[in-house]
Amino acid sequence: MAVMTDIGHRVELVPMDTHFHDITIALYQQVIDERPMYCVHSYSSINGAAERLEGVRAAMMVLGEMQAAVEDLLQFPCGHDHVLPIRRLFLESCKIPPDEEPTARPLQIFDKKAGTEVAVAKLGNGTYEVHTDSDYGVNVDKRLRVIAGGLVKLGQLEATDAFKVTFECGHDHDALLGLLLVRAPNVRAAVREQEQLATRGVLSAPSQQE
Amino acid sequence: MTESIALMTSKKRVLAALKRQPVDRTPCCNPTSVATVELMDLVDAPFPRANREPELMARLAATGYTELGFDSIMPVFSIIQESSALGCKIQWEQKDNWPTVKMREPIWQEPDDIEIPSDFLTHQDTSCVLEAIKILRKEFGDEVAIIGKTMGPWSLGYHCFGVEPFLLMSLDDPDRTKLCLDRMKKATIDFGRAQIEAGADALCLPDHATGDLVSGEYYDRYLRELHIEFSQEIPIPLILHICGRTVDRMDYIAQTGMAAFHYDSKNQPLESMEEVKNRISLVGNINNPETLFSKGVEEVTSEVEKNLEAGVQLVGPECAIPLQTSIENLKAITEGVKNWHRAQKN
Repeated sequence: MAVMTDIGHRVELVPMDTHFHDITIALYQQVIDERPMYCVHSYSSINGAAERLEGVRAAMMVLGEMQAAVEDLLQFPCGHDHVLPIRRLFLESCKIPPDEEPTARPLQIFDKKAGTEVAVAKLGNGTYEVHTDSDYGVNVDKRLRVIAGGLVKLGQLEATDAFKVTFECGHDHDALLGLLLVRAPNVRAAVREQEQLATRGVLSAPSQQE
Repeated sequence: MTESIALMTSKKRVLAALKRQPVDRTPCCNPTSVATVELMDLVDAPFPRANREPELMARLAATGYTELGFDSIMPVFSIIQESSALGCKIQWEQKDNWPTVKMREPIWQEPDDIEIPSDFLTHQDTSCVLEAIKILRKEFGDEVAIIGKTMGPWSLGYHCFGVEPFLLMSLDDPDRTKLCLDRMKKATIDFGRAQIEAGADALCLPDHATGDLVSGEYYDRYLRELHIEFSQEIPIPLILHICGRTVDRMDYIAQTGMAAFHYDSKNQPLESMEEVKNRISLVGNINNPETLFSKGVEEVTSEVEKNLEAGVQLVGPECAIPLQTSIENLKAITEGVKNWHRAQKN
């Protein structure tokens, strides 16, 4: 039997890891010497669980450029917590099968609704600008605003103007932004996915059941 | 609470509070479920198997006491065990979700259809509960209160007739409805008594005359007498569980002779205590979806304290907790109760 320890405050949970025996994997936050650190944890003690957690940690280091800290903990190089984006980073990292090599996402996506490539330019000090090189039309302009807005919502970023977003820590996080950029064009779907995941396992009275 | 009361075992604490007798501190009680997906991993007892295999059921239930610090252990996580034994089709789901009765495929339409099968108590899903209680009793002796569960006939009516047909019948034909309830009550009594024999100290009796669909007047008309009968026929403390806003029927509930009422966070602790007037103990009422599931330790502690300040006899979640609830928040209930009492002493 696994041992219960004080591992901090839980910030996100994957109730069933479909890539590894349906174990539950959670992300816990601890503060050590005033620095927020994160622990990828499972109470499962079945064979291979530790390796699976190591795989998720490794994916978070690639997809979010997190750094290894003490005792299997992870931290952002900037020393900030970035609670909202790390939840997305954790969920996306758990989606990567153990036999797949994680790769950081580029700062560019193809936006179907705009019908063109959309990129994010790094301006320094944690600021990025959403732009496109294609012909600029009203629709494209609207899409760029939507994507910038999506980044703000998913990543807890500040909107500097309609197309510019900034990490509150003032540091660059290219990989993290690349990860968020994939979901930014359709924030509603990302939020819906998170809500659906969260509402599973809530028991309702028989009168409320199907 | 009296300061001179010597330290009690969890079991004595719970049983005394159910009788509204003095206790060393307010017990933390879970008459429904405190199982979570993380606790399932901790003891390798995942849903749905933990609802069907006694060793797993007992192991997962025990974590409520050994890991979370509750004063009771409740192994009957779901509300479908006896409905399965009655013949209802069950959607067993996966680790992260609750098994449910397929109520769109009812098994009964008429009172004459009601039949308690001869294997009702030996069916896999009822015997699993009985075996789990035996395991827990053997493992924990008289250390902790073991609470079983037997579903009331109103809930069984929803499961076996379907929610809509059953409610419509209650509107159109009260006599027929009463006949149905009367015939289904045998399942409640038989399963309850079998759990006593297996070693249960108290029983939760959910009967979902919930505030959203059923009025207080309905409770009086259909269920009050039946619940009086249960408290006479089942000789251990019964904890009635009804979800939703129920202040309009608490006066009736307090007259049933049941030991306690497990009440929902839609009712304020103080107004509920005033309504029951010390005729029945209250258990509850920490909010599940908003507080335990979505908020933090501070908010949980605040709700715990609200119950303690109102004099609620047993503190715990309002209903079966969401399976993704954090262990941190669950421990905040038990720690909140202990800290509050420590502060009172000081």
